[in-house]
Amino acid sequence: MATAATIKAEESQAELIQLVSFNLDREEYGVYVLKVREIIRMSNVTRVPNTPYYVEGVINLRGKVIPIISLRKKFSLSDKDHDKQTRIIVMDVDGELMGFIVDAVSEVIRVAAGEIQPPPAVVNGGVEQEYLSGVINRADRLLVLLDLERVFSQSERESLISSTL
Amino acid sequence: MALLCEDQELLEGFLTETAELLEKLDDDLVALEKMPEEMDLLNGIFRSIHTVKGASSFLGFDLLVKITHKTEDVLNRLRKDELKVTPETMDVILEAVDHIKLLVNDIRNGEIVERELDEIINKLIPYISDTFRESTVLPMETTRADDSSGNGTHPPVKTCEAPESTSPAQEPRTAETVASPEPSAPKPAQAKTAPPRGEELSDNTTVRIDVKRLDDLMNQVGEIVLERNRVLQMNIDYQSRENIVTFGEEFSKLAKRIDFVTSELQMQVLKIRMIPVEKVFKKFPRIVRNLSRDLGKEVNLEIIGEETELDRSVVDEIGDPLIHLIRNALDHGVESPEERVAAGKPRSGNVVLSATHEGNNIIISIRDDGKGIDPDKLAKKALDKGLVTEEQLAGMSGKEILDLVFLPGFSTKEKATDVSGRGVGMDVVKTNIRKLNGIIEIRSEVGKGSEFILKLPLTLAIIQSLLVDVENEVYSIPLAAVLETLKVETSSFHQVGGQEVLKLRDSVLPLLRLQKLFGVKESESSVEQSYVVIIGVAEKRIGLIVSRLLGQQEVAIKSLGKYLAKAPGIAGSTIMGDGRVALIVDPAGIIDMEESGSMGTWAA
Repeated sequence: MATAATIKAEESQAELIQLVSFNLDREEYGVYVLKVREIIRMSNVTRVPNTPYYVEGVINLRGKVIPIISLRKKFSLSDKDHDKQTRIIVMDVDGELMGFIVDAVSEVIRVAAGEIQPPPAVVNGGVEQEYLSGVINRADRLLVLLDLERVFSQSERESLISSTL
Repeated sequence: MALLCEDQELLEGFLTETAELLEKLDDDLVALEKMPEEMDLLNGIFRSIHTVKGASSFLGFDLLVKITHKTEDVLNRLRKDELKVTPETMDVILEAVDHIKLLVNDIRNGEIVERELDEIINKLIPYISDTFRESTVLPMETTRADDSSGNGTHPPVKTCEAPESTSPAQEPRTAETVASPEPSAPKPAQAKTAPPRGEELSDNTTVRIDVKRLDDLMNQVGEIVLERNRVLQMNIDYQSRENIVTFGEEFSKLAKRIDFVTSELQMQVLKIRMIPVEKVFKKFPRIVRNLSRDLGKEVNLEIIGEETELDRSVVDEIGDPLIHLIRNALDHGVESPEERVAAGKPRSGNVVLSATHEGNNIIISIRDDGKGIDPDKLAKKALDKGLVTEEQLAGMSGKEILDLVFLPGFSTKEKATDVSGRGVGMDVVKTNIRKLNGIIEIRSEVGKGSEFILKLPLTLAIIQSLLVDVENEVYSIPLAAVLETLKVETSSFHQVGGQEVLKLRDSVLPLLRLQKLFGVKESESSVEQSYVVIIGVAEKRIGLIVSRLLGQQEVAIKSLGKYLAKAPGIAGSTIMGDGRVALIVDPAGIIDMEESGSMGTWAA
């Protein structure tokens, strides 16, 4: 006999979560759809001097200037020229809009909360532990769930915010 | 007190009106002291107090009624010529006005505090009755001494056991009036009923706009709506291939009209944000009066151009720097009457505060005819404090030596006085002015006086800027900071100790390559000529080397967001005509970077 508590746990395990999946290098990643504001094509990025290497610059998003982060650079992946597939995922990061350049956006997928496994201790590909919130292992694909709010480690966030002088 | 909760509008109206009346009152009272025979002025003051009294009694603010009533009595006697305008009378009236302000502030904050008013009322009473005045001259004197040793503008109000309360005992008639104010029981209840209002009512959150300006604005909006309709119509025509021949011509006409209407609209909106600098200036007569009495100096303050308008964001920021400069002028600049007479000058010193427009800037100057700044004394001081070395001093021009006062930790007065020199030195003034993208300049002549000149932008939201090209990247430099631009042969750059400099007339200008500072990729081709944009912030000058000048443009400032807001050397961004983002250079930041010598720590 299942107790009330386990029923509840099962329910939350079955809860569906929607993710936007995108490609970066050879891997597939996912972010919570609710955090995504929009997905846009690559546009003219204005470089901002004296900022961390992974800050590509800023763009004009309908009259609002938002910072653009290169996830390839951030994850220490080899550089790749932008092509027709390149997209900017505009997300809400701590109440501020921020764009992330990815190789391609594939789809919105639904996964059950129970499908999300904790990240393995060591992940190859150089993506640091901190912003990995889990992996989804399906028969034909492996999806890495990212928490982009934590894509900057605390110290990086501080140095981004505080003056670099 | 039910009225308070139900009728917020009434209360707000009362607060706005009272605040305006009181603001003007200080100024008028100080003016009255100088021109006691001005009946109009006196009547105006009387009316203001009377209005406040009437309104507060209507709304049931008993404490306010009590004090305004007594003040009104004193003013009435002045009006009837039963009392003479003397500094002593004014002291008491001004103090009473301070109390009134305090009470109004309490109401604004929604917390009605039980304030002890007996002390000030006791002070007012002697001036209300003739017979009594003579006998209280002595206690009055002690009272005044007490207050001036305390904090000037906000006299202590909490101490209820006022030592001067000897006076009522002497005169039964007044003892009565003093006794009556005590029972003020309804106040604590009042404090509860009035909802906490926080800052909403503070002076700068609501605007009063001239109806005419609003009408003008509406007209402009009407025009822009017309132009929009025109655009829509043209689009329909274009889609249906009508009038295709004239489209180009029509479109260019339309573009011109839209350009014209939007810039008009922009001007109108800016104008609405503009307020006269008087808002800041009118605090000063009172400050100068109090200070000069405290310091034992005789000072005339002359205010010129208080009707000059500037953006409210700037007005909010310049108050503190100006107070500091005025204090400095009085404390360090103007000499004591004896010294002045000995130096063959009139007994009373003059301080002139003026504001004028100059293009897109406002120039505020504080000039005194005091002893001026002695460069030798200044240099010695800086040396003693270890702020500069002898070698550095030797190489400095007179102007550079004067600029030493802006160094953090500098203060020429040996002893910190109550007035100035409390550690918040000129460097704070400089920092504040820099924040506003302003320039500060000192002129001084020993024995003749000194002048501080502030040059500030009119607004912070839209700025005139110089667009420059740095190896194919576009940057915008605030025009307010640009002093001049030069086209020079690269061969005329010199190297001094690893620093590129340019000989410019009689001075040597340090140069900075924006391309290096911002890590822009260098193009192959060697250049023989480049452009130098000379920027000035506060008292510093520096030349920026850029590839090309693109022209002048009015740009709206957009923030870079909290993650990039502190990018060194960048003040913000703006969106260009083609939709691209161009970065706005932060002149103050660049000069700081140049000074600290560290730049591009993030350059990958």
